[in-house]
Amino acid sequence: MNDEELTLLGVVILFGVGVYGLLLTHHLIKIVIALQIIGKAVIIAFAVAGTMSERVQLAQSLIVTIIVADTMVAVISLALVIQVKQRLGTLDARELSNLRR
Amino acid sequence: METNSVATLIALPLALSPAAYIVERLNRKIHPGWLALLILALAWGVLGVAAYEFDREGTLTYRVGMMQLQLDGLSLFACGAILTLGTLTVIYSLDYMAEEGAADKYYALVLLLLGTMMGLVCTRDLFNLWVWFEAMAISGSFLVAFYREQPASLEAGVKYIVQSALGSAFILLGIALVLAETGTLDLQEIAQLNQDSVMLWAVGGLFIAGFGVKMALVPFHTWLPDAHAQAPSGISALLSGLVIEVALIALLRALTCVAFSWGTLLIAFGVVNMLVGNLLALRQTQIKRLLAYSSLSQMGYMVFGIGVGIYAQTLDGFEGGLFHFFNHALMKGLAFLAVGAFIYSLETHQPLQISDLRGASRRYPYIALALSLALLGLGGLPPLAGFMSKWQIFAAGIAVHEPLITLLVIFAALNSVLSLAYYAPIINVLYSRQTQVEIEQGRAVPPLMGLSLLVLSGAIVVIGVYPGLLHGALEPAARVLLTAFGG
Amino acid sequence: MTAWLVGLTIGLPWLGALIVWRVPDHSPQRQHGIAVIASLLTAAVSIGLLTTYSTEVALRLHIGGIFGDFILVPDGLGVLLAAIAAIIGSLTVIFSVAYMEHEACLSRYYALVLIFIGTMAGLVLAGNLLLMFFFWEITALCSYALIAFDHDNPAAVAGGLKALVITQLGGIGLLIGALTAYGRFGTDEIAVLLARAETLSKTELSLIAFSFLIAAMAKSAQVPFHSWLPGAMEAPTPISALIHAATMVNAGVYLLARFYPAFEDVTGWTTAVMTVGIVSALLAALMALVANDLKRVLAYSTISQLGYMVFAVGAGGIFASQFHLLSHAMFKALLFLGAGAVIHSVGTRDIRQMGGLWRSMPQVTIAFIIGAMALVGIPGTNGFWSKELILERGVEDSSPVFVVGLLIGVGLTALYTLRLIWLVFGGTPRFSGQVHEAPSAMRISLGILAVGSLVTWLLVSPLSKMLAETLPYHHLHSETTRDVISDVMTAPITVLALGWVALGFLLWGFHHRLGWLIARLQLLSQIAGQDFGFEALNRVVMRSTSTLAERLRSTQTGELNWNIWGIVAGLVVILIYVAVEV
Repeated sequence: MNDEELTLLGVVILFGVGVYGLLLTHHLIKIVIALQIIGKAVIIAFAVAGTMSERVQLAQSLIVTIIVADTMVAVISLALVIQVKQRLGTLDARELSNLRR
Repeated sequence: METNSVATLIALPLALSPAAYIVERLNRKIHPGWLALLILALAWGVLGVAAYEFDREGTLTYRVGMMQLQLDGLSLFACGAILTLGTLTVIYSLDYMAEEGAADKYYALVLLLLGTMMGLVCTRDLFNLWVWFEAMAISGSFLVAFYREQPASLEAGVKYIVQSALGSAFILLGIALVLAETGTLDLQEIAQLNQDSVMLWAVGGLFIAGFGVKMALVPFHTWLPDAHAQAPSGISALLSGLVIEVALIALLRALTCVAFSWGTLLIAFGVVNMLVGNLLALRQTQIKRLLAYSSLSQMGYMVFGIGVGIYAQTLDGFEGGLFHFFNHALMKGLAFLAVGAFIYSLETHQPLQISDLRGASRRYPYIALALSLALLGLGGLPPLAGFMSKWQIFAAGIAVHEPLITLLVIFAALNSVLSLAYYAPIINVLYSRQTQVEIEQGRAVPPLMGLSLLVLSGAIVVIGVYPGLLHGALEPAARVLLTAFGG
Repeated sequence: MTAWLVGLTIGLPWLGALIVWRVPDHSPQRQHGIAVIASLLTAAVSIGLLTTYSTEVALRLHIGGIFGDFILVPDGLGVLLAAIAAIIGSLTVIFSVAYMEHEACLSRYYALVLIFIGTMAGLVLAGNLLLMFFFWEITALCSYALIAFDHDNPAAVAGGLKALVITQLGGIGLLIGALTAYGRFGTDEIAVLLARAETLSKTELSLIAFSFLIAAMAKSAQVPFHSWLPGAMEAPTPISALIHAATMVNAGVYLLARFYPAFEDVTGWTTAVMTVGIVSALLAALMALVANDLKRVLAYSTISQLGYMVFAVGAGGIFASQFHLLSHAMFKALLFLGAGAVIHSVGTRDIRQMGGLWRSMPQVTIAFIIGAMALVGIPGTNGFWSKELILERGVEDSSPVFVVGLLIGVGLTALYTLRLIWLVFGGTPRFSGQVHEAPSAMRISLGILAVGSLVTWLLVSPLSKMLAETLPYHHLHSETTRDVISDVMTAPITVLALGWVALGFLLWGFHHRLGWLIARLQLLSQIAGQDFGFEALNRVVMRSTSTLAERLRSTQTGELNWNIWGIVAGLVVILIYVAVEV
């Protein structure tokens, strides 16, 4: 196994960890963290893809864009979580299930 | 042809949306809504120029740094649809949102949403496709959670942002794999490479799942009823009438870079979406939630038509799917706006139940008629637009001459009948002679809201009687897809 | 000129609908007036159209793309049915002036009635399948809206929904058939389908033929799709007359007659059509025998008479079927409007609570009895001639089993009609309160229809000529009235049929002594009363669908983690599919 494949394996594991977190944790902050882990996995994937296809320059600029967008999503979701905490007094995703059926 | 009209079209709402945000602070006499309307009027002008240029020169392109924009038949059609419903929603909102406060934020976000959607349909590069898509999701998330003092809006907002972030991570992963495999992200270059690799096929799967979240394909749909029902009605109209359909176009653009026959899978998703959407709506009592579920089923028809187009390489499948896209934008837009008009006149903050509208036709004959037209059109009855687009989709399916597809068309037609079982009772309630007290005491609906409803109702009837009206715009759009999936 | 007439026949009522819809509720006189004028103008135009029939395309609207052209062709079959719709329609509108007095929402009522009339005219004049299907679906929409006109009556709402859903289900047949033809020919013109039917493969032609049969059965309320028609009795009575005589149900028979030449060679098709017709004729007659609701009896009799028409088409008697359609339109409109006058003054629809009405409403009684005689087929009425033509056709072109079935049907018709007249008009009153003769607007309509029921058979020659000249694929030859008279008079089946009518009357004469027979029939009547179980079938389908929907709703738990599970599972399924396909 060469370096790139090893890193790709790392990406898959990191992505899996994030999805696992989304599937099982009920804590809203932890859910945001899980999303961030997935985001980081994707960023590493781009870095590997850049080296594999010898387009490092392109990959770098893409990664910067992704980081920006990723941060925006994190900011908005955290802002929402704060609102949830303030208005509903909970951080448990299970209690956020009044909209059903 | 290299031209800057494409860039202007997209940049106009995007660049001027901050202006809508601050204008009221600079001069209290200028209402941000009217400014937004002005900006959209300018955008219409630019679209006219672009359409003229397209007519003469064919596909238009524009390059800014790394980003390349391209206006082909499909983008032109989609931009037309986006501006149509967008403009009518803004006109509607001038009165609807007048008392809500936060008008500055509202119009700035609406402009942002419209601009990003137009950017999304005009891109020719996989990564930019994602950037626009993410931008659309982010501006959408603000709008879903617009009433942030209401717990239900917050709940819908959280679900929306988490689920769409996961979907967008799928897409990004797919893009990274494409980059690793091909070394380029330009859609046409990738398609020309025509590579057969397992990696790329998996990428297609990631794209369907990723965009599927935003398109509300079953089983990725779970966020949709919450988000579409909780947003302000004008936004519900945009989300249900445009955002999910634009996501469909984004998916189709992305899928062109993977040489694999996606027809069967899309047909399957279409059929499942129709049935699940209808069944979920059948026993629903909250009217906005019902409309949201019905979007699932309508999305099923579009995906079915386009699936048939890919499967059998027929122009009619693509054209039918896109035709239904446009008609659904009008009909679902009208339905949400009409329901919004009732919410406005009842001054309610509770979710509107169907039974709340008992006898509404007595007090509000025109709005009741508009809502009835929208619902009957969604149910596929003539002389309304939905009938014609469904006919085209079904015709494309039957013309494949395969027994299984014929059976699926029958199934789809049965689903239309099933959908009447929840649309029609709403109309019965509207035309009841006993009237709910709240309805009798409801306030009058302002003229601008009525104007939007009138235009949409008229358009639905006119297209239903003369479906050839849009053929000129639909045919080039469908041809783009046919060529892209032509293998 | 023809183009104008065709356009006006469809357009005038629509325009009238638009105008009357805008008239506010506080000026009912204007609402009545506009509706009457619009419908009378339409009737006049449609009569004009009768004189200018042709096989030429009168109007062609180019739509483009897959939608092709919308074309209207005023051929004999089309103009005849358009005229029936417009003329009977206008009479029901006149009748409504009295019947719907003091009702609310009149503008909506009249608008829908006018749209209904115009749509029916469009349906029969349409020259391509898409346009035909377009109008076909609008008639379903109108009938739904009119049956459920009283939206506060749950029975009316349920009846309207049922009519909508069942005819829509049938509509799928028309859709599939039309699209199959389109898929092969690249055009949906009716003339092309008729001309080139034999170039289709056997399976495809069968698919089209049987799909169309299903569509026709649903629209013409043939067993087992009949259950919407009795439910439609919740509509205001003029609407029942409109649906039963002028519009809606005629469409199914029309569809079969129109496409008969294309399908006659399809294996089993004509037998299927005849069987459907006979079964509907007999079952519905039995149901009419035990029903106690005045309008329901008439509704079942409509199903039964439509059965005769469907049978006639199956036996190749296109002219006989359309001739009976015309007779039926006259006498059934008359019966329904007569029933409306009765219900209007007695205030109930239950025939067990009527009786002795001939004393208080003699004119209505006479009119009703003329209609009933035509229904039974007493010589001198239009029903006699048309029914005998169908019977003759049956003797010539079908098996003896069918003929026996037809004759039993004739006897049953006589029996239930006599029972109805006796219970409603004969004997002594079984209700309290004052009953008055019908108002003049009602009597005008009844009078015209009564005269019509006695004389329309004189139109045999021109009608026959018209159909023969303009239906090139049907191979009809024109007959004169004199031919028909001598044919019918010399046919042995005529005597036989009259014998059965007499037997039916006789049976009723002894009905007090027939206790044992009635006891035997009790079981049958129970089954018939419940629509032979078809109603239960409907309920099972509805209930299981709604249970399924309720189950599925519980998957929308609203929990974020559950939603994520859905997304991940969906991705896995897609990836597995891709892996398998590779």
